[in-house]
Amino acid sequence: MPSKKILLFGYGHHGKYIAKGLLEDGYVLKVAEQNETFYQNALEDGFKESVLIDMSKDEELVALDPESYDKLVCVMDDEHYNVFITLSLTSLFPDLYIVAISDSIHTTGKLKLAGAKKVIDLYEVSANRIHNILKRPITTQLMKDFIMSKEGISFMEMEIPEGSFLNGRKLEEVNFSSYDVLLVGMVDMELGRGFEFVTAGHEHQLDSGDIIVCMGEMEKLRIFKKIIGRKEPDRGDQDKKEHTS
Amino acid sequence: MNDTILSIARFLHSSRRYRKTKSAIRDILNNPNNEKKKYFDLTIIFLIVTSVFILVYEVKHPVPVWLDYYDIYFVSVVFAIEYLLRLWVHNDLSEAVLSEYYDSKFLDKPFKIARPLRKVLLEKFRYMLTPSAIIDLLAIFPAYRPIRVLRIFVLFRVLKLLRYARSINQFVEVLRNKQFELYTLLFLLAFIVITAGIAIYVLEEKVNPNINSLFDALYWSLVTISTVGFGDISPVTPEGRSISMIIIISGIAMISFATSVIVSAFSERLNEVKEMRTIERINKSESFLVICGYGQMTKMFLRQGDPAKNGYIILEKDRERVEEARKDGFDVIHEDASRTEVLKRFNTEYAKITLLCLTASDVENIYITLTAKSISKKIQVIARASHQNMVRKFEYAGANHILLPHEVVNNMIHIAITQPTMYKALHAVLTGKESAQIYEIHMNAYGSLVEKTVEDLAFREFKLLFLGIHRKGEFFFNPPKETRLEAHDVLLVIGRKISLDHFRERNRGVG
Repeated sequence: MPSKKILLFGYGHHGKYIAKGLLEDGYVLKVAEQNETFYQNALEDGFKESVLIDMSKDEELVALDPESYDKLVCVMDDEHYNVFITLSLTSLFPDLYIVAISDSIHTTGKLKLAGAKKVIDLYEVSANRIHNILKRPITTQLMKDFIMSKEGISFMEMEIPEGSFLNGRKLEEVNFSSYDVLLVGMVDMELGRGFEFVTAGHEHQLDSGDIIVCMGEMEKLRIFKKIIGRKEPDRGDQDKKEHTS
Repeated sequence: MNDTILSIARFLHSSRRYRKTKSAIRDILNNPNNEKKKYFDLTIIFLIVTSVFILVYEVKHPVPVWLDYYDIYFVSVVFAIEYLLRLWVHNDLSEAVLSEYYDSKFLDKPFKIARPLRKVLLEKFRYMLTPSAIIDLLAIFPAYRPIRVLRIFVLFRVLKLLRYARSINQFVEVLRNKQFELYTLLFLLAFIVITAGIAIYVLEEKVNPNINSLFDALYWSLVTISTVGFGDISPVTPEGRSISMIIIISGIAMISFATSVIVSAFSERLNEVKEMRTIERINKSESFLVICGYGQMTKMFLRQGDPAKNGYIILEKDRERVEEARKDGFDVIHEDASRTEVLKRFNTEYAKITLLCLTASDVENIYITLTAKSISKKIQVIARASHQNMVRKFEYAGANHILLPHEVVNNMIHIAITQPTMYKALHAVLTGKESAQIYEIHMNAYGSLVEKTVEDLAFREFKLLFLGIHRKGEFFFNPPKETRLEAHDVLLVIGRKISLDHFRERNRGVG
């Protein structure tokens, strides 16, 4: 990924954990807080670049230079501020990519109106989880492991780079399982339909710039990601493959 | 004599089969949650209905002999058996005898069989005097043909239906609360009817050709006070008419009093009756959800799913929230879920219950979890916890699944930032909003797929993406083609619903 700069609003209940996770994944973070205690926490946790600002003042928001960041994340403990910041930021800079947290249906609607690209509803996500526990207990447990674990079986999305051997191939021609990964779905830039599962039954041609989502052991996924960057598939990898069952 | 009875009691008490049979019969007769009771009830109701039908039909038409025999012998015999069984399971003679024996041995007293015998028989006799037992007994009698009047006893069979009609029981239950008022009313009514009846008898017996006895007078008095007024007997003297006027007015007062008593009894307990109904209804289903707390999470949960499909019930102890849930159209009960009695009202023995502890307080959720698990280990508990360090406590309490809303959402945000495409895929898979979802295919023990290999299944043809096998608690991701399936395996696939249905259609014995 080209740049990984994130501006995080809020270092409370959620911000703290998200910041930690993002840091582990190698992102560059800047924390903005208006609460003195949370700000101190952020400093103590090693986010030296943290700033204490008054969110209600536009000039202080502008001073943060939001446009230089990849993504902005609004996870203040007070949902009113999340809506307010989202609105202020989009009114100042319409093209920002803002991810916001919401803790009620009404707030979700407001955040979307305010211009957040992605709104994650605390209760929606949790309620979903309960439905899944009831309907598909095994899947839920596995998915939880997929998401939580850094190693083991997981998902990974990868962009097909320029000059990859996958470029121009039909989906059926590529035997993904010989690399010990499963293709779950992809975003075909040509068709512009957004994410589609492989099982949807459409024919796709892989091109550079397309994003594929694969599933497999983290190690294998990493290897596969390297392989798709090459001009020719490395046959050697396939011979080494051994199944354990 | 003593010894014989004692040894019989001992034998019965130690016989496992005897005790099992007895408790099974007791369960079928008296436990409304027993699955088989439904069939038993239906049989009895069928017998009653046919019997009454025969009675009515017989008035005008000749009845075939076999129907007569059916009515006289079969129905009555079944009822007699039922009556005896009820009497039998009402209490336990052998146990009473034995406990008396041990007590007397302990106290070094001579053992006398008479005492426990008397106690148990007295108890049985008391049962025989309860209204429902009397009705049961009378319902047997229509079999005795020679006395024609006994035929009307068939109507007692109708009364027998009471045992099987919940609503009437509830009606009686509600009225029982107003016992005092109703008795007062009855007493007052009897007083006025008798006084007025005697008065009219004394005043008009000689002048009125229609009043020939005190019974006529009382009959007139009741007909008048109830404002029915058939008119077959009417007063002819001014004195008699004055009495009529007085009892007509008191009659109106009395009727309105009775109405108000009954109405207030119902309005006071309407919610309770409704709640009882809801619980009874839900207890009939094989599996259902008990949701504790009506907050944001519960609302969201109910919005997302189709709650009507599998039964659910909400327990909420806050009055205002109960009202809110009612307004939103959900089945809710105003109860504190942490109380043992509340959870005990559910059919924990026969139904598969899943308890969702979704209140905002950890303390409450843990308490509810413990309460549920102490009632029955079979209750599945999904609990909401606010923090990671609560998880251990919930695990100790016995929760089957622990939900950490904050952690879930933190993860989602993390993924939304780091892997936006995958977030979409995950979101779609988890919410089932898009065409594809993850499905679980369960292998039945003797299904057609057992022993087949992964390759045989040809998931590709069905446009399903095969993820792996979940076997004995372990997940095998993307297993090699030669892997053979075993019974009770769970296969995970991604795909559209129609693909899955197609697959299930082709392969019998998968769930």
